[in-house]
Amino acid sequence: MTLASIIFALLGVVAVSGAVVTVFARDVSRMAMGLGAFLLAVAGFFVYWGATFLGVVQLFVYIGGVLVLMIFAIMLVHRSPDGSPLLETRHDVAALAVAGGLFFMVVMALRGVVPDSVNQGIESGPAELTEAFLGPMLTHFEMGGVLLLAVLVSVVVILGGDDR
Amino acid sequence: MSLLVITVGLFSLGLYGVLTRRDLVAILASIEVMLGSATLLLVGLAAAGTPVGAHEGAVEATGVMVIVLAAAEAAVGLALVISVARRFKTTRVDELAEVKG
Repeated sequence: MTLASIIFALLGVVAVSGAVVTVFARDVSRMAMGLGAFLLAVAGFFVYWGATFLGVVQLFVYIGGVLVLMIFAIMLVHRSPDGSPLLETRHDVAALAVAGGLFFMVVMALRGVVPDSVNQGIESGPAELTEAFLGPMLTHFEMGGVLLLAVLVSVVVILGGDDR
Repeated sequence: MSLLVITVGLFSLGLYGVLTRRDLVAILASIEVMLGSATLLLVGLAAAGTPVGAHEGAVEATGVMVIVLAAAEAAVGLALVISVARRFKTTRVDELAEVKG
């Protein structure tokens, strides 16, 4: 067993454990911690595969932004006076059938496309990313900016609606 | 194969969470798991040597776009959650009967 496969397995274990805690935890703070572990493992995968810039963006935007935003939302809306768990799950069997069926179908459909080993790594870096965004993907870049502006306006409209 | 099983497994786990969770914040967290696993598969495919995109840097650019989309989704979603919590005093989807079909 090589060091690379050990790192891959460790990151996989952290990602799967974090996702399991996110989906099954009955306590909101544990759910947030699980999501943090999952996102951290995803950033670790990116760095491990050579997409260092993407890993840093993942760390800044997801863990520094989205997760903190989610914790703020949890603090704002979850006020349980008796401290009882607020998260519940229902319809387990049907949901399990749907999720399991999707897993089976996608794995069967893609098993010939996805290679067995991930050992090549990504060679492109921030310079290639900039060239892509200012060249062939300029429209995507601009659309991303417009989307973020629309999101900013939408959030102000949604949360300011009660004052009118 | 391990990459495929891990990423699709994580996506299915997120889908299971979306279908079974009864809290809006927990549903959003499950959606984040789904988005993260999809990005993971995309970058993993590129790292494995599969051509993704027509030019160099396309994979990282697409990854950044997915992260931007996820951030936008989380911002609007959490704003809606706070708005719903203010109006209905709950974030449990089974108690939000006004939009029930």
